[in-house]
Amino acid sequence: MNNAPAPAIEVRNLRKSYRELDALDGVSLTLEAGRIYGLLGRNGAGKTTLMSILTGQGFPSSGEALIFGHSPYENDEILAKICFIRESQKYPDDFNARQAFKAAALFFANWDQDLADRLVTDFALPMKRSIKKLSRGQLSAVGVIIGMAARAEVTFFDEPYLGLDAVARQIFYDRLLEDFALYPRTIVLSSHLIDEIANLLEHVVVIDKGRIMLDEDAESLRGSAVAVTGSREKVDSFINGHQVLHRDSMGSLASVTIKARLGETERAMAAELGLELSAVPLQQLVVRTTMAGLQNDNNESVEVLK
Amino acid sequence: MSRVIKVAQMQLINKWTFMGIPMVILVGSTAITFAIWALLPASAREGTLYSGSGQAVMWYFLALGIQSLTYTFPFSQAMSVSRRTFYLGTLGLFAVFALGYAVLYYLLGLLEQATGGWGFNGQIFALDWIAENNGAIQILFYFVAMVLLFMIGFWAATVYMRWKATGLLIAGIGFAVLVLGLVGLATLNNAWPQVGAWFAGMQVLGLSIVLGCLCVVLAGGSYLTLRRATA
Amino acid sequence: MAAIDDSRPIFIQIAELVESEIVAGTLAEESQVPSTNEFAAYYRINPATAAKGVNLLVERGILYKKRGIGMFVATGAREKLMANRRSAFQKQYVQPLAREARKLGINAEQLAGMIHESLTTEASEGSVL
Repeated sequence: MNNAPAPAIEVRNLRKSYRELDALDGVSLTLEAGRIYGLLGRNGAGKTTLMSILTGQGFPSSGEALIFGHSPYENDEILAKICFIRESQKYPDDFNARQAFKAAALFFANWDQDLADRLVTDFALPMKRSIKKLSRGQLSAVGVIIGMAARAEVTFFDEPYLGLDAVARQIFYDRLLEDFALYPRTIVLSSHLIDEIANLLEHVVVIDKGRIMLDEDAESLRGSAVAVTGSREKVDSFINGHQVLHRDSMGSLASVTIKARLGETERAMAAELGLELSAVPLQQLVVRTTMAGLQNDNNESVEVLK
Repeated sequence: MSRVIKVAQMQLINKWTFMGIPMVILVGSTAITFAIWALLPASAREGTLYSGSGQAVMWYFLALGIQSLTYTFPFSQAMSVSRRTFYLGTLGLFAVFALGYAVLYYLLGLLEQATGGWGFNGQIFALDWIAENNGAIQILFYFVAMVLLFMIGFWAATVYMRWKATGLLIAGIGFAVLVLGLVGLATLNNAWPQVGAWFAGMQVLGLSIVLGCLCVVLAGGSYLTLRRATA
Repeated sequence: MAAIDDSRPIFIQIAELVESEIVAGTLAEESQVPSTNEFAAYYRINPATAAKGVNLLVERGILYKKRGIGMFVATGAREKLMANRRSAFQKQYVQPLAREARKLGINAEQLAGMIHESLTTEASEGSVL
């Protein structure tokens, strides 16, 4: 063991090609230990492929994926520090949830049975029903419970909320924060819903079509764009020189999202021009930055929760 | 090493699969055999009664080989178990298990002989051609036969997991071609008498060794296939 | 629950929330402020982000750290914050007010009258409470 802290996750020029598509197209990333990361992207963007390779379950076509500086493939010492429950995780046909947790307790050294029991109650998970007979939400709950109670140094959650109702999702987020505060570790939350988890994240990685589109601290992203609304000519003159992320117009009105942090003078100027400035939430920012030109199909995520 | 043992423990979490079902099959099939023998008219009961019901458990091991891979391998991946560890734990567990059953078969064979063929002059376990060997060879034979069936199931399941139906099809065709090739070779060379003599000359020990080699080949093949398989 | 949104840095919002509580008097000087993890759990935000907000206030001398115990409101913090807010008052509130008034054709005298009126109603409502 060396003491020089290797990053929790390091990916170098990772490629994964299937016959018809590149699932990963030259991905490079460095994720530090002890943080909560969001791995965001649309379905099929390459999130699960990336996580599979990072956990030694999948094989890259080329490039490197390292956990604490070592390849996880067939490396039990490294694997013991990782937990990755797939969104479509398969369980032994004859297993019920209790048996799955019993197995997890064998392999994850930090397994916390009390936490698992508490989560079972929280999610009202039937323990004796065969896993293959569980609903989608209950199946997600099994994965979430294993991922949380395992307390692995590097934990991946793959679209963990599928089928969970709003209450159960909130329980998951609350318990995750609570447990993370007590036992900091590296957590990667893969998701195509950004709004709900945005506030939990310290760092955001956006992947699309196998490429990293955005890799930034969540805090520096927040407020890094502004929407300018007003008469088209005035908007155009105001945004001159800024990077435009998105444009909507209606008649003589325009609303343009620009990548900019406005200073006081600029704000005052906008006010003078009668332009309205509005903040851009992370979800929209991510969508605008990375998926420009695509239909905004993330509307489904705009769910009122609080 | 400890993770290898944990894989074995994981396979045993549902005790029914490894422990319960084989016992039920063994007891059940033997009981049915006894029942049939008991129902036979006296005229049919003259001479030795043979039964193949002892094989029943062995065929279950073929299914067990398939099951312990398809059911448990994808889950073992989520448990952060390397393929190698999964392989060693699962095969190790079965080996111990098969050894236990082999000894049990041997003991049942002794019992069978001591009770005059269960009172029916029957043969289920101590079939003449096996029972005439010493205990070690008998146990070896049963062990190898059980492991072989398990390995066939395990490898077939691994091939399916890695290459899906296409892989299984190609493996099946390949095997058929191999067998046909050997048959063709023997026929072309008019070698059948020699082949027959070879089989006839082969004792239980020889057969065990040949099957044992086959087990080793299957085990190696399974490992190499599993190493690059994705759940 | 006070609203945290993700349209601007959360640590700034956390700092502002704490400041507001100090100005309002809810958080008295020399009283202990919630821990980073309590902030994180309450506002459902990342603990590192909450810590950043608290640290910002430490840097500004609004909060101070008692080793092994936690964070406390510094003596004089309220006055300091009030002074800051007073100096920002014109820019933050008066200027936009004047701008809007001009847009609507409200002259200085009318505006002053309105302000006066609001101040008295506010005061009387305040006294009722």
